[in-house]
Amino acid sequence: MAVVEGVAAPAPKVRLRPRGVSRREQWQRRLPLLPALIYIIVVTQIPFVVTLWYSFQNYFFDIPGGAHFTGLSNYTTVFTNAAFRASLVRSVVMTASSVIVAMILGMAFALLLDRKFLGRGVVRTLIITPFLVMPAAAALVWAGPMLDPNFGLLNYLLTPFGVHHVAWLSTHALGSVIVVMIWQWTPFMTLIVLAGLQGQPADTLEAAKVDGAGALATFRELTLPHLRPYIELGILLGSIYLVNAFDAVRLMTNGGPGTATTNLPFYLYQQVNYAFDVGGAAAAGVVTVILTIIVATFALRMFARVFQFDEAAG
Amino acid sequence: MAAVTTTPRQKAGWGTANFVVIALAMIPVLWLASLSFKTPAAVLDPSLIPSQWTLGNYSQILKTSQFIRPLINSIGIGLIATLIAVLFASMAAYAVARLRFPGKGVLIGMSLLIAMFPAIALVTPMFNIERSLGLFNTWPGLIIPYVAFGLPLGIYTLSAFFREIPWELEKAAKVDGATPFQAFTKVIAPLAAPGMVTTAILVFMFCWNEFLFAISFTSTIASRTAPASIAYFSGSSQFTVPTGPIAAAAVVITIPIIIFVVFFQRRIVAGLTSGAVKG
Repeated sequence: MAVVEGVAAPAPKVRLRPRGVSRREQWQRRLPLLPALIYIIVVTQIPFVVTLWYSFQNYFFDIPGGAHFTGLSNYTTVFTNAAFRASLVRSVVMTASSVIVAMILGMAFALLLDRKFLGRGVVRTLIITPFLVMPAAAALVWAGPMLDPNFGLLNYLLTPFGVHHVAWLSTHALGSVIVVMIWQWTPFMTLIVLAGLQGQPADTLEAAKVDGAGALATFRELTLPHLRPYIELGILLGSIYLVNAFDAVRLMTNGGPGTATTNLPFYLYQQVNYAFDVGGAAAAGVVTVILTIIVATFALRMFARVFQFDEAAG
Repeated sequence: MAAVTTTPRQKAGWGTANFVVIALAMIPVLWLASLSFKTPAAVLDPSLIPSQWTLGNYSQILKTSQFIRPLINSIGIGLIATLIAVLFASMAAYAVARLRFPGKGVLIGMSLLIAMFPAIALVTPMFNIERSLGLFNTWPGLIIPYVAFGLPLGIYTLSAFFREIPWELEKAAKVDGATPFQAFTKVIAPLAAPGMVTTAILVFMFCWNEFLFAISFTSTIASRTAPASIAYFSGSSQFTVPTGPIAAAAVVITIPIIIFVVFFQRRIVAGLTSGAVKG
């Protein structure tokens, strides 16, 4: 980082002390950021303000006569609603278990791939394929040909172990959805951790070996601390995506059986598309956004550390 | 990484482990490919290699506008959204990587926050807004939100790449008599290009795979994209799932992404990790 900043510093117009620049210049520096920033704010925050507005309305798609103001009643419903709380818990379980298992498997696979062997490049490419299959297509293939009770591949493969005609999506719905998420995200975690392993300085490892450190001790004392930022990054990116997972749930189980796989995004979708309760869904959405912001603030702290904002904020 | 000396026995152990890992990752993918070549009758047959190869599933989906049109929509919408997002993201990342000004951290933080914003909470108002503006079920109706959600990803990866560019070369070129435009096109642009290509692939993948907006803001194949269209594939009756055609469609949809990634794999990983990890 120091090197990069040192490089940027001598460029014309860019001085190390922002205090020395005029107000006008300060605004000019922000200029290239503005299109992206304005665009993002207009496209995401105007709808959010509308969501906020809906959340105080009694507004059903299927009831003519339009919406009317109901104060906080939608919020009271959200906080007293067991279905909302249950879907929140399910979201956390789904995200946490799939991200953590995918990361553990990813680390194991990365350690496996971090050795010289014939065809390593091919293996790496093969391993990443699950991540490249469109999630919607993967969900459909898992729901049908893989997990079907009668002709699914999994039941066929498990027949020698005494498993017959298990309707995975009815009996182990949440587990099945999580397995598919793990299958899709393990390759991603593998690649991230592998990048970390290959960036590990060889001389340190050599020194540890010379000093007589065992493989396990070397891993715990040297490799793991070195991998930490990579692991954190993988968990962060995986969580951002999986906490909003909608396609797998919608296409594999439609939230069911019952509400067994209804996570927060699917619950909100259901409130609008099946219950037509726009106001209630909006209030639940606002609560979800607030929860997301709380969680994201913690995540951003990490980003702040790795991006070194404090230095940039000067 | 230093090569570790291994005995033949250890080598065999690692080989087995590798094989198991590949099998875990690949069985569903191979199964998918195999299904796409099976006849409707053989779909229930659990053998990996089709007893009777057929291209019927492919000709079936490629004949109908119910798949071709969404495929064209996906490509068009994805490319346009990617182009706009990478353009805006490059400008923003340039500022992030190169310039210092107060409040920079807050600005980046805000855009990252958007990446985590639950899109589902915005669907209904966006739906109503798009209806009133006449954008519902049109290409711009999907391009507009895709750019918004592609931008944070673009800014994140491009800032990482741009920080690695030796910007002093630009000054050196100017000293050597190049105009600012020449300095940019001859020196900086070639250095920035790999990062921009990688970012473009990641943003395109996001648009290509996106499902929630795709089913919410479209109603016909005029703008429905591929992931939404395969969800609407139907069999001869309500209860038969058209497994073969779905598998064929999944293969067709996945191939472009695999080609991109096979070519740019190393760079994509570098783009995702270097931003966060190079201190």
